[in-house]
Amino acid sequence: MLSPGSTAPHAQAARILIVDDDPTLRYLLADQLRDDGYEVATARDGLEAIRRLEGGWPDLLIVDMMMPKMDGLTLAREIKNRADLPIIVLSAIDAGDSKADLLDEVAEDYVTKPYHYPELRARINRVLRRLGDRVPRQRLVLGSHLALELHRREAIVAGTAVALTPTESRLLYALAANLGRTVTTETLLARGWAETEDADPSYVWVTMRRLRQKIEADPNHPRHLLTMRGIGYRLVGTDAPSAPDDDSPDESPGDTDERPAPDSGALTRP
Amino acid sequence: MSDGPVTERGPIAERGTLAERLARRHEATSDASLAEQGATGTETSPVGDEIDAEDEISPRSEQELVGSGLAFRTRLTVALIAAAVLPLAAFGLLLVFAQRLPDAEATIPRLLLLAIVLAALVAVLVAYLLAAELTGPLRAIAAAVDRVKAGDLSTPIAVAGDDELARLAESHNRLAADLERRNRELGRILAGIIHGSPREGTAWLMGRATTNAREAFGFIDAEILMVDPAGVPAEEVVPGEPRPVRAELRSGDERIGVLLAHLPATRTWERADQDLLEVFAAEVGVSLRNAELFARVEAQNAQLLELDAAKDDFLRGVSHNLQTPLTSIRAYADQLAGQTPDRRLGIIAEQADRLSRMVRQLLTVTRLESGALRPEAEVLAPAARVRRAWEALAVEEIPFRLVDRSQGWLAIADTDQLDQVLWALLDNAVKYGQRGEVDVEIFAEDGRLRLTIADSGPGVPEGDRGQLFARFARGSSQNAEDGSGLGLYVSRELCRAMGGDLVLEPAIRGRGAAFSVYLPAESPLEG
Repeated sequence: MLSPGSTAPHAQAARILIVDDDPTLRYLLADQLRDDGYEVATARDGLEAIRRLEGGWPDLLIVDMMMPKMDGLTLAREIKNRADLPIIVLSAIDAGDSKADLLDEVAEDYVTKPYHYPELRARINRVLRRLGDRVPRQRLVLGSHLALELHRREAIVAGTAVALTPTESRLLYALAANLGRTVTTETLLARGWAETEDADPSYVWVTMRRLRQKIEADPNHPRHLLTMRGIGYRLVGTDAPSAPDDDSPDESPGDTDERPAPDSGALTRP
Repeated sequence: MSDGPVTERGPIAERGTLAERLARRHEATSDASLAEQGATGTETSPVGDEIDAEDEISPRSEQELVGSGLAFRTRLTVALIAAAVLPLAAFGLLLVFAQRLPDAEATIPRLLLLAIVLAALVAVLVAYLLAAELTGPLRAIAAAVDRVKAGDLSTPIAVAGDDELARLAESHNRLAADLERRNRELGRILAGIIHGSPREGTAWLMGRATTNAREAFGFIDAEILMVDPAGVPAEEVVPGEPRPVRAELRSGDERIGVLLAHLPATRTWERADQDLLEVFAAEVGVSLRNAELFARVEAQNAQLLELDAAKDDFLRGVSHNLQTPLTSIRAYADQLAGQTPDRRLGIIAEQADRLSRMVRQLLTVTRLESGALRPEAEVLAPAARVRRAWEALAVEEIPFRLVDRSQGWLAIADTDQLDQVLWALLDNAVKYGQRGEVDVEIFAEDGRLRLTIADSGPGVPEGDRGQLFARFARGSSQNAEDGSGLGLYVSRELCRAMGGDLVLEPAIRGRGAAFSVYLPAESPLEG
C-alpha cells in the first residue's frame, strides 16, 4: 500500500477532504482552505467520503463528528482500517466529553465548533508536518521497560499503561519516527504546538522533563529520552535486538514499517 | 434382652449375679473419671447386645454400662426383698435351729442378739450395695448430660439391657444424636447462607437453597416456589411414601414463597426439624428478597446509566445543533469582515462566540455533576492565554493591563478548560467593573502560578462573599440581567480539576473584586 504521505507533502498543495453534513459549513470551510492554497474536496456523509477515497487518498481529512448515516467516529475508524490517513475531527464535542477519548485512537487532533479559522489552519499545518513520518500503529517496543502505543496515547512503562497528553504523544511520534536520531527543539516545537499557541522552546523543555518523569525508570539518568543539550532530543531503544553497529540496518525493535531506516547506526546510543 | 423375664428367677440366684455386677460396677465407677469415660466411650460400640457380651467376657472394661440384664424395677424389688426378707429368714432359721439345741433357754437370747447384729450388718451391706447399683448408672447419665451441656454430642452412653435406666440412656443418646444432626444441618445452612451473595441473582440463590436444603435435611427433593404459600395446597402424608414437608419463605411479615420438599419415608420429622427448616426458609426468604432488591437496584442503575447516556447524547445533539450554525455565522462574519471591514461584523462574530461559550459552560456543568471532567495536563504560558481570552471578549473600550511576573514559569493546565475559566473571570471583571480598568497579574510562587484578575468595581459585598462560588449564585446587588450564575462555580471546579484552585482575594481599598487562579507550574529550564 502506497501511502499518500510518501510523496513530499510540501512539493504540492496538500489535499484535504472535508466531510460534513452541513452544506453551509462545508462550502465555507472549503472556500477558506482553498483561499490558503489547499486542494480541497468535500463529501456530505461518510459513505460518500469512502467512495471518494477509492479515487485517491487525500493528505488529510476533516471530519464532522455528528453526521447522519455514518457518524464521524465510525468513518474515522473505517478510514484508519484502510490507511493511516491523518484525520482532524471537527466537532461540537469538547475534550471533556466521554466521546473525546474515543477520538484519540482515530483522530490526530480535534477542533471544537465553532472553529476559529486561524486556529484550525494552524492545527492542519501541524498535522501535515508529520506526513512522511512512519511510526508503527500498534506498538513500538523500545526496551524491556518501555513501549509506546501512540494511537492510544499511552506509554507502557514497566508493564503499566501511562496516559500521555496529546502534546506528549505528538512529540513522541516525531521522536519515534526518527528513532535514534536527534530531533531539534524547533522541529519538536512545530510538531507539538500549533502556530497560534505562542509556544517557545521552554514548552518543549518542560514537556520533555515531564515526559521523562512518566516514561523513564530513573528520570535523572534517562535511557530512552535523551537530551542533546542546546540541540534537541533523541529517543532510543535499549537492549535492542538489532546490533549496536549497523549490521541490521532496517529494523528498530517492533518497527513494522517496511521503509528502511536511513540512519540506523545512530539507533542505539547517543 | 437375653435374660428373659427375670422376675421369675429365684432371689438367691439373682443375688449372685447382682453382687458380681455391683462389685464390678463399683470398681469401675470408683476410679473412672468423666474424662476417661469420654475417651473410652467413643471406642465402644453403643449397641446393647455387644456391650453385654463384652461385659461378660472382659470385666476389666472401664466403660460405664447403664442398664443390665435385669430390669431396674426387678433389681430394686430383689434388693428390697433381700434386705428385708433375708435377715428375717435367717432369724427364723436360727430360732428353729436354736430350739433344737439342748441348752435352748440360755442360748436363744444370745443367738437372738447375734442374729440381730448379723441382720443389721447384712441390711447395711445390702443397702450400700443397692445404693451403689442404683446410683452408678444415674451418675453415668448425669455425666453424659454434663458432656452434652459442654457441647460433646458424639459420646453416647453405652446401653446394656432394656430397663428404665437403659431407656433413659437411650433416649438421651437419641437426643444427643438428634442435636448433633441438627447442629450439622445448621452448620450447612449457615455455610449456605454465608456463601450466597445477593449479586448472584434469585435464580442462582434458589438453586443453591434447594441444594443446601437437600444436603442439610436429607431431602429426596426440594423446590422453591415464589408464590403465595396459601395458594399451594398441603400434600397428604401417606405412610410408606416419601413424606412431604414445607416451610414458608418470609421476608419480614411478607410471605414471598414456599419451600416444598420430600423426606425419605424412613426418616422421622419432628418439631425441631420443622423449626430448623423454618429458620432455614426464613433465611432463604431474606436472601431472596435481598437478591430481588439488589436486582431491582441494579436494573435502576442500568436505567440511570442509560438515561445518563441518553442525556449525554441529548446534550451532544443540542451542542451540535447550536454550535454548527454559530460556526457558520462566525465564519461568514469573519470572511465578510476580511473583504469589507465593518464594526458590526465584529460584533456578530463576538456575540456568536459568546453564545457558544455559554453553551459550552452549560455542558461543562453537566459534566461536573457526572464527574466526567478529565483535564489534560499540558504545558502553557498563561499570559498568552489571558491575552487571547481578553481579545475574545472584544471590549476594546475597557482599559486592560497585564503584568507577567511569572519569570517564564509555565503552567500545567488544560488549555480548553483554562480558557473557560479566563473567559468567565474576565467577563465578570468587565460586567461588574463599571467600565474601569481590568488588571491581571501573574506570579510564580511556591512552584505554582497565581493569576490575579482584579476589576475596578465596588468589589464583592460582604454578604455575598460566602456563597459566591455556589451554583447559580449571583451578586445580590446585581440585577439578573445576564450571566448564568454558573461562571464562578464552574471556574472553581475546573481549576480544582486541574490541580489548582480559584479564590476570592480579600477586599482592598481602591480595588474592586479580585480573584486568583492557582495552577501547578514548572520552571522553564532545559533538561
